[in-house]
Amino acid sequence: MANLKEIKLQINSVKGTQKTTRAMKLVSQAKLKRAEELAKRSRVYAQKLDELVSEIAYEINTSKVGGSDSRFVQADLPVRTVDIIVVTADKGLCGGFNITTLKTTLRMLREYKEKKVAVRLRVVGRKAIDFLKYNGIEMVDEVIGLSASPDYKQAAEFMDKSLMDFAEGKTDRVILIYNGFKNMLTQEQRVLQLLPVDISTVEAKELKSNIEYEPEEQEALLNTLLRKYCEYSMYYGLIDSLAAEHSARMQAMDNATKNASERVNELTIAYNKARQESITTELIEIISGMEALK
Amino acid sequence: MSTMKLEIVTPHGEIFNGDVKSATFPGAEGEFGVLPEHASLVSLLDAGVIEIEKADGGVESIVIDSGYVKVDEEKTLVVVEGAVPIVGENESEIAQAIKEAKELVQKASNSDFAIANVEARVESAAKTRF
Repeated sequence: MANLKEIKLQINSVKGTQKTTRAMKLVSQAKLKRAEELAKRSRVYAQKLDELVSEIAYEINTSKVGGSDSRFVQADLPVRTVDIIVVTADKGLCGGFNITTLKTTLRMLREYKEKKVAVRLRVVGRKAIDFLKYNGIEMVDEVIGLSASPDYKQAAEFMDKSLMDFAEGKTDRVILIYNGFKNMLTQEQRVLQLLPVDISTVEAKELKSNIEYEPEEQEALLNTLLRKYCEYSMYYGLIDSLAAEHSARMQAMDNATKNASERVNELTIAYNKARQESITTELIEIISGMEALK
Repeated sequence: MSTMKLEIVTPHGEIFNGDVKSATFPGAEGEFGVLPEHASLVSLLDAGVIEIEKADGGVESIVIDSGYVKVDEEKTLVVVEGAVPIVGENESEIAQAIKEAKELVQKASNSDFAIANVEARVESAAKTRF
C-alpha cells in the first residue's frame, strides 16, 4: 500500500510541475509576440541605417576623401586588444539559449588567446555573468536587467564606453555576440564585428554624383553616424536577443510540458498495476483463508 | 512634374514612405529643400520640421528631433531618432499631435530659439489645414 501512496504523490508532483511549465510557456508566448513586434519595427530602421552607413563608407573608401583615415573604418588595424560584448538572458529555463552563446564566447576567447590578443569582456545578462564568474574569467563590465527590458538610452550608454575606448585606441576591435531570433523554432548565433566597420563586404553601389556633406567636416559626420550605427546595433541586438530568448523558452517549456504529461501517463500505469496487484494479493489472502477454514 | 521617393524611418517604425514632389529639411547648417534629381547629399538634421509636398499635391509636416538625411537622384532617405507627423482626422487629434511634437522637440533641443521656431511652424501648418 505504501507503494501506491508514493506513486500517487509522485503523480501529483509531476502534475504540479506541468502546470508551472505550461504557464511559463504561455507567458513567453505573450512576451514573444511583443518582442517580435518591437524587433520587426526596429528592423526597418536598422536596415536603413545599415544602408546609409555602408553607402557613405563605400564612397569614402573608393574616393579616399577625408575620413578614410578614421579609425572606425580601418579594416587592417593591427589587433592587440579586442572588446567582446556578450549578450545573454537574465533567466534560465530556456534550453540551450544561453549556453550556445557562452560556448561561442569561450571558443573566441581561446582563439584570441592563441593569437596572443588581449580580450576584454563586457557582459550583459545574469546568466553569462554567473557562468563567467564561476569559471574565473574576468569581465570589464557587467550589466544585469538590460537584456530583459532593452532600453535605447541604456544600450547607447553601454556602447559608448566601448566606442570611447576604441576611439582612444585602447581597443582595436569590437565584437558583439548574441543569440538572435530566426523564427519561432530556431535561434541563430550572431557574431558581429561592430568596429571597425567592415566596408569590404559593402556592396559596391555606383553613385551618379559625388556625395556632398553637410556639415562639411566629413569626419565629424561619419563619426556621429557610425556612433549611432553602433549604438543602434547594440540596441537591436538586445531586442533580437530578447525575442530569441522568449522563443527558446517557449519551446523549452513546451517540451517540458510534453515530457511531464508522458511521465504522468507512465506513473498512472504503474499506479494502476500496483493497485491491481494489491487487490489480487488481498483476494488470494481471503481465498486461502477460507480454504484453511474448510 | 517628376517625383522622388521619400522614406522616413525611426526606431519605432516607418513614418513616411511615398512619392513626393519636394521636401524641406531642417539641416544642421540651415534649412534646405530637395527636389527630384537632387545631387547626392548627406546631412545632419537638427530638431525641426520636415515639410513634404506629396505627389497628389497634399502637404504634410513631420516634426523630428535629430537624425540624418541622405539624398540621391532617385531617393531620399531620412533616418531620425523620433518623429511626430502632424496629421489627424479632426482638431483634437491635431492638437494631440502638436502636443507630442512640442514635447519631442523640447526634449531634443536646448535652444529656445529652435523650440520656438518649431512651435510656430507647427501651429501655422496646423492652421492651414483647418
